[in-house]
Amino acid sequence: MNRIIKMAWRNIWRNRRRSLITIASIFFAVFFAVVMRSMQLGSYGHMIKQTIEKYSGYLQVQNPEYFDEPSLDNSLEYSDELIQTLILTEGVKIAVPRIESFALASTGHQSKGVLVSGIDVEKEKMLSNPEHMLVNYKLTPAIVETILIESNFETKQQEFLKLFENSVYHDLDRLGLDLALKPEQLEPYHALFNKYAKIQGAYLKPNDDGVLVSSRLAKFLRTEVGDTITLIGSGYHGNTAADIFPVRGIIKIPSPDLDNKIIYMSLPKAQEFLSMQNRITAVAINLDNSKEMIQIQEQLLSTIDPTEYTVKNWEELNPVLKQQIEGDDASGKMFVGILYFIVFFGIIGTVMMMIAERKREFGVLVAIGMRKRKLATIVLIEMFLMGFVGTITGMLAAMPLVIGFNINPIKMTGETAKMYEDMGFEAVMPTAPIDHYFTWQGIIILLMVILACYIPLKKIRKMKVMDALKA
Amino acid sequence: MKVIEIHNVNKIYNESEVKVHAVNGVTLDFEEGEFAAIVGPSGSGKTTLLNLIGGLDNPTSGDVMIGGSLMSSLKGSDLTDFRMHNIGFVFQAYNLIPVLTARENTEFVMRLQGKTAKECSNRVEELLKAVGLEERMEARPSKLSGGQQQRVAVARALASKPKFVLADEPTANLDSKSTETLLDIMEKLNKEENITFIFSTHDARVVKKARRVITIEDGKVISDEYKNIED
Repeated sequence: MNRIIKMAWRNIWRNRRRSLITIASIFFAVFFAVVMRSMQLGSYGHMIKQTIEKYSGYLQVQNPEYFDEPSLDNSLEYSDELIQTLILTEGVKIAVPRIESFALASTGHQSKGVLVSGIDVEKEKMLSNPEHMLVNYKLTPAIVETILIESNFETKQQEFLKLFENSVYHDLDRLGLDLALKPEQLEPYHALFNKYAKIQGAYLKPNDDGVLVSSRLAKFLRTEVGDTITLIGSGYHGNTAADIFPVRGIIKIPSPDLDNKIIYMSLPKAQEFLSMQNRITAVAINLDNSKEMIQIQEQLLSTIDPTEYTVKNWEELNPVLKQQIEGDDASGKMFVGILYFIVFFGIIGTVMMMIAERKREFGVLVAIGMRKRKLATIVLIEMFLMGFVGTITGMLAAMPLVIGFNINPIKMTGETAKMYEDMGFEAVMPTAPIDHYFTWQGIIILLMVILACYIPLKKIRKMKVMDALKA
Repeated sequence: MKVIEIHNVNKIYNESEVKVHAVNGVTLDFEEGEFAAIVGPSGSGKTTLLNLIGGLDNPTSGDVMIGGSLMSSLKGSDLTDFRMHNIGFVFQAYNLIPVLTARENTEFVMRLQGKTAKECSNRVEELLKAVGLEERMEARPSKLSGGQQQRVAVARALASKPKFVLADEPTANLDSKSTETLLDIMEKLNKEENITFIFSTHDARVVKKARRVITIEDGKVISDEYKNIED
């Protein structure tokens, strides 16, 4: 076998230029496929981290009836025992109780149907962290006018300020992005914005009887920090739920849909408002390692009482996001497929040329006693070696990029950064860590090489020695 | 002992509706240790006859028997194996494997037979020494002259100790000196190893060395003469 491999290796370098071109085409195909897939999978991971890990949680414990009929009557009893069971399960990072219901919100000016979310104020900081979404700056037309008078912004920034009238911000860095100013360029104006645009909102306290109102909803209801808001709805078992709540703060939710309708209140207050003493609608769970989601889901399902509870994963809870990812993933795979398809025909071309060039030599080899099967093996090994060299070097070249951008993700700037931040995502594009997809690219290429050899090998099998010797 | 028996062999090619009778009712025998030349003008059927003997082509009719085995009864891998064990080939264009050294080319068939490098070593060195290339054993064909390449081809053909060697115009691409050297080597090996050599040629120098000359014209044997050559 060694002799055959040695012969195959030497044959590769008979036509050095052609072999190098073939190896290079495989190298670039693997390199681009790996880097592209890594970025694509990395962005999915990022998207899941930002939406699932920071809102719904990877898993949710619910009443078995709640998924099909999300009503307060299908809520579950909130007990320390349940939380302890969940927390003590290996792989569970946090378990956060929630109540979700609907109510009619009313101020002196407007009324609207809203989503009431009762949260454990402290625990929720580890999941959706509404505190981080608290609006601290608001650019009303009057404030913009005052700032324009007192500042010495350039024309471009003045136009941007007017353009972003009525916008709200958690911090000045994000405001700087809208004004196309770097943090250090905006720093001289911090005092000015703190003086005129700062809002005195605050996050909820554990037993707070106030609420946090999402920014678009607050704008619709024309309510501000310090105002009161009336909520009327239906509580547990049809009880009437009605109360007045002081607005503690405005929050800006990344999702425009949620930003139009959500009101946060403390869990005890929500339970009181909805007559849900000691009941919740779900426990949101985050995990140490999201890859273990299904195993942990199964483990939890086997631990908890199935008549009282069920466990749903984020793919079941958010099928739209799953479909979006699957759709994008399919297009990414298609692109890689096209790339491989082109390389595939390149490889076929190389093998065909190689066989045509060496037809006479093949005839001689068979004439002096080499079996066609052995001859075909040599050709296959030659192609395999070229594929192997191209694949390994392609992977090695991609590795530093993949690892590097996984540790230090690409940071978005300008409009892209704004788009990411407005969607509630951190404006970075990380690559996926080295995983199965990495080795799969290599396996696919090597399989392609073998497949590309099919027609040429068939030619060898059908080769007539006399015809080959005359070539 | 008869090594090759050819009985009433015909080979007809159908080339664009015209039938070409390349070999026409040839009947010949070759004994062990013969040094025979098949001569005739171009297109007379010499190479075709050699190919039929070597099992590279099938006769339209008639039988070719090698050491008692009917060639037409062998197919595919069996035929390839039969050639490997029984027949040595020397081609006009040398046809060495370009990626192998002179040593590796010489031992190639032996290795196909499953012999180890160690088992091949003595035989290969002996043969390359016999053909005067003991200093060029590690050279690849591209570094050898035409004459040297053909000598390696002869060593390769003989290495596995075949029943006979078929040489198709082996001197056609060689100058006088190389031809002379090659013929001396083949004659010497023929005598030392008692291996049958059959040449197709129209080179007078080969004919001069041959102990049997078969003349063929239009696919038919028109004369078959044995010569008495004094050592």
